[in-house]
Amino acid sequence: MTGVAIAGIGTAGFGRFEGEALASLADVALSRALEDAGLQRARIDGLVSHIGSPRGIDYDELALLLGLRVRYAAQTWEHGRFGATVITTAAMALAHDLCDYAVCIAAYANSLFARIGTAGGVGFREGMREGGGPHAEAPHAGMAAPIAGAAMSTRRYLERYGIDRDRLGAVAVAQRRAAERNPLAVMREPMTQTDYEASRFIVEPLRLLDCSVPVDTAAAVILTRDDRARDLPRPPVHLLAFQGIHAGPGEFIFGRPGLGINQADDDDWRPLGADEPVFRRAGVGPADVDTLHCYDGFTSQVLWTLERFGFCGPGEAADWVQGGRIELDGELPVNTSGGHLSEGHANGWGHTLEIVRQLRGEAGPRQIDGVRVAQWATTLGDSIIYGRERV
Amino acid sequence: MLEITDFPGSGDPSHLLPRATRLNEPYFAGLAEGRLRLQRCTACGHARYPVAPACPRCATSGGRWDELAGTGSVHSWIRYRRSYLPEFEPLMPYVVLCVALDDGPRMVGRLARAGGDPAIGGRVRAVVERLPSGRHTLAFR
Repeated sequence: MTGVAIAGIGTAGFGRFEGEALASLADVALSRALEDAGLQRARIDGLVSHIGSPRGIDYDELALLLGLRVRYAAQTWEHGRFGATVITTAAMALAHDLCDYAVCIAAYANSLFARIGTAGGVGFREGMREGGGPHAEAPHAGMAAPIAGAAMSTRRYLERYGIDRDRLGAVAVAQRRAAERNPLAVMREPMTQTDYEASRFIVEPLRLLDCSVPVDTAAAVILTRDDRARDLPRPPVHLLAFQGIHAGPGEFIFGRPGLGINQADDDDWRPLGADEPVFRRAGVGPADVDTLHCYDGFTSQVLWTLERFGFCGPGEAADWVQGGRIELDGELPVNTSGGHLSEGHANGWGHTLEIVRQLRGEAGPRQIDGVRVAQWATTLGDSIIYGRERV
Repeated sequence: MLEITDFPGSGDPSHLLPRATRLNEPYFAGLAEGRLRLQRCTACGHARYPVAPACPRCATSGGRWDELAGTGSVHSWIRYRRSYLPEFEPLMPYVVLCVALDDGPRMVGRLARAGGDPAIGGRVRAVVERLPSGRHTLAFR
């Protein structure tokens, strides 16, 4: 138990909002989260911002423009990978009495910038970092855009385990089916495996329908300690346990340990499964997870996350996801809002809102029966396990 | 010695290289001479890339610059079907390889010849491409 719970959520939705100020989007998300939590704005005394300027909005500007007077503020690097880190930073601040009601805000617009991966696009200059880009970009070799690192890892994975590349389609189709039932999703047109296989290559071996859909959005998540959450109107969604992003020569955002991608080791790595620290601390194992939500900039990331957290063995995920297993009525519903692939690439915030809805029983036509435990996890090893009850 | 050829794309992609520093100077000076020079750890013998102050395998600081053969095998590869960089547009659709060097780490570079799908495990050798600015980058053929 972390002693911290989510008390309210709000979003301005997902789409192209070119004419809107980021502060306006953030204000909509915050107002909805406050209404959901039954709190006045003046009660917020902690703020953690995810994506800063220029794509997003910095913590100081948020506080100034939204009228927040906080005694704890923090902010992360602009990448989507820090979504869960933002939430756990707020949780740690709450646990240490640095604030009593913390709001996490992610507000950003992709539509203001050139296409991701091109000059003027978000994060383009990071490709020229001294150690290489954050997705292994090497633009001087022609290797630009996050998709390049994902494609390189996907090829390696498919070759290593002898997997037909179109098996990835099961992930795209499953998430689209869920998105059809989500009015917030930007991609709700029905999609079949045939549609998937007809979609064009962007960077081989990845097709257009392997890629997430960039959107503009704002989301707000209000957290407080369990004792305070109990007095608020909505059922608290408890953070049962969490663990952070792993980093080092053995880690790469695309893939999982042992895959031999980028400079990571190429070995016979095995997942820890129920011994993974986040599972041990939560007192549950992979078999107890009722719904998994994971970072899905590209379809293959879902497979790697399933393997990393021991839902299946190394090289098995492409088979494991077939036959509807990760669909709404399957054994392990995954990314039930449609995720980045179909709801829109909201850097994990759409997933987090969906986890809260599922655990509260508010997911409407997407509601999974009897959800007690939901997990957020990524290929970088970070995870939050959420529960409806304290365990 | 590695073959040195002119960058076959359009304009000058030098602005896409990492900034030149005292740390990476021997690497780029090596390329200019047609040599692939990387740091090799004096404790564990691991040759590393990217250029770094410490060994990623055993964390020992320092290391000595060593010349590598530049031969290796294809570990993975991708092919661009959408253009992101104007300098590489005339080369579309081009292939970028991840190569496991025989005597060193994995490195990426464009496949500097046209052709069909590369084979995983296929043999390649490093070549140097000279950019209009006088800086250099690594490719494979």
